[in-house]
Amino acid sequence: MKLKRDAAALNSKLLRRPIQKCFILFLIPTFGAFIIGFIYPFLQGIYLSFCKFITTRNATFIGIDNYKTALTDSTFLHAFWYTALFAIVSLLLINILAFAIAYALTREIKGSNLFRTVFFMPNLIGGIVLGYIWSMIFDGVLSRYNTSILLESKYGFWGLIILMCWQQIGYMMIIYIAGIQSVPEDMIEAARIDGASGWQTLIKVVIPSVMPSITICTFLTLTNSFKLFDQNLALTGGSPFEFKSDGTIIKTTEMLALNIYNTFYGSNTAARGTAQAKAVIFFVLVATISIIQLRATRNKEVQQ
Amino acid sequence: MAKVILKDITKIYPNTQDKKKKGKKTEPKSKLQVTDEGVVAVQKFNLDIADKEFIVLVGPSGCGKSTTLRMIAGLEDISGGELYIGDKLVNDVEPKNRDIAMVFQSYALYPHMTVYENMAFSLKIKKVPKDEIDKKVREAAEILDITQYLDRKPKALSGGQRQRVAIGRAIVRDPAVFLMDEPLSNLDAKLRNQMRAEIIKLRERINTTFIYVTHDQTEAMTLGDRIVIMKDGFIQQIGTPQEVFDHPANLFVAGFIGMPQMNTFDAKLVREGDKYFVEVLDVKVELAEDKCARLAARNVQNQDVILGVRPQHIVLTDKGIEGTVDVSEMMGSEVHLHAKTKDGKDIVVIVPTEKNGLDFGMGSEVNMIFGGNVAHVFSKEDERNLEWE
Repeated sequence: MKLKRDAAALNSKLLRRPIQKCFILFLIPTFGAFIIGFIYPFLQGIYLSFCKFITTRNATFIGIDNYKTALTDSTFLHAFWYTALFAIVSLLLINILAFAIAYALTREIKGSNLFRTVFFMPNLIGGIVLGYIWSMIFDGVLSRYNTSILLESKYGFWGLIILMCWQQIGYMMIIYIAGIQSVPEDMIEAARIDGASGWQTLIKVVIPSVMPSITICTFLTLTNSFKLFDQNLALTGGSPFEFKSDGTIIKTTEMLALNIYNTFYGSNTAARGTAQAKAVIFFVLVATISIIQLRATRNKEVQQ
Repeated sequence: MAKVILKDITKIYPNTQDKKKKGKKTEPKSKLQVTDEGVVAVQKFNLDIADKEFIVLVGPSGCGKSTTLRMIAGLEDISGGELYIGDKLVNDVEPKNRDIAMVFQSYALYPHMTVYENMAFSLKIKKVPKDEIDKKVREAAEILDITQYLDRKPKALSGGQRQRVAIGRAIVRDPAVFLMDEPLSNLDAKLRNQMRAEIIKLRERINTTFIYVTHDQTEAMTLGDRIVIMKDGFIQQIGTPQEVFDHPANLFVAGFIGMPQMNTFDAKLVREGDKYFVEVLDVKVELAEDKCARLAARNVQNQDVILGVRPQHIVLTDKGIEGTVDVSEMMGSEVHLHAKTKDGKDIVVIVPTEKNGLDFGMGSEVNMIFGGNVAHVFSKEDERNLEWE
């Protein structure tokens, strides 16, 4: 017995040693791809945000001017608040509805498997396509009242909310279903015997137990909402526009990512540096918010 | 603090559930009866549990013991029959209104609450005043010796401590009936023995009706005032530990209760007037008077029987059933000898070490005999104990 074990140990040693020595060789392919595809463009992007440029080759360093312009740009600030409002509303709606559906579908309803599939399906359609489909649907309805989704910013806002809920609830639902199913049946029964009503069981036993799922889902919905682009572009493209007395045009349903895109590819090529600065601010913003959110919900997680 | 009466309690799982699993169901796990309505998990269960009695439901897995307990708890619907707790019919009463508490095998503690909060949970829901909750929780913690862990979360506790918390959670509710579903099965052997003793002590202190489910016959024997032995949804026997040990109602009970298992032989029951003899492997043993009287009262005639004798009751002599020692297990104070008879039958004998247990090494020849007062005769047809109805 002992001999056998020794042999096995020796074997693994002989096999592992040379492999362990040249671990760098195995790291190179993915790490190389990571550098080319992420690290280099990321650093280049940060550098460019301090430059005036039209193409990346002839950039001239101009310091923090781009940031000054970006932070005083009223369209950017509008887009920020608009995005923040959108993120909060969609975060709440998507998570509450997804959890409710997941909870209902784990209660042994007939055909729950079918429902799960159906609810998940919208997720498989791309954002641009969804945007155009929904703009047709909304306009089909709104035209009866002689208006259009492009004419009122509140229609654009709620239209985008409906679209996002429709697309994301199914995905979050799947995560919540997995979470709810991992809550031990015994615990629910213990709560029943302890006298908890269905609602009390949900609030005091089930929800605290699915905190890991809540962390993931709030993280995903929050970052998705902040980074939203395709659907925004396809549904309203920022319409309706508001013309200010100082000549600026505020696109009332334009979100951060679309604002950056429009700044970069707009007619004013001199603003590319500003767009770059906005992108960096955007990154810092999304990263900070998601880290704060992760900290907050992680703290509430418990191990079984 | 209440009696519990189970009257013809039946549990049927409808066939719909079966259909889903039909593909897998090539090998039925147990011999549960299947009717048109579904699988019968518990058959006409009748039991009167006295106030403050400790009842143990015991049997192999799938025998319906847990289902019965869950029906008493209200976690399973009762398909037929009547269940009374106190004097109240509770068939359709919600678990929380049955005045019961339950301890689960998995402890089922709430992982996000501290030990204190776990124990206080049910009282908080009942809106008991805070100082009263505090008093009750601390009292229960004192009884179970977990006061120092009150601020901890369950994950920071060992298995035994968690089980104490689970018991504590039940105690604070001051229930009329205390239900326990295999509470010690998740513990290691040493801890299990320790907790078993704790439960005996606990029972002295909280003095209420206990219904305890286990598959472990040792737990059943040591804890129960009365034991209910179940198999395939049927009650096999109800009796005190001594009764079921001394007078097993059938071959199943005989084999299930007692360690090591009872030895069984194919034998002949011979009646000579009012006397009965068993003939087994060249040996003829006269049964004790009380046994003969009972057999005669039931007018049992000559027949082939299954003879059962517990390993504790077989003694080594100069003449008797001949055998060769196959395996000798030294258990400390006693030695378990596995002897093979001429016709290949295995017999287990327990010999005290201080007597001559160590004299019989493997391969040595032994002669075994048993007294007429410890032989059990079971019908070969239906495996019932022939002495009893």
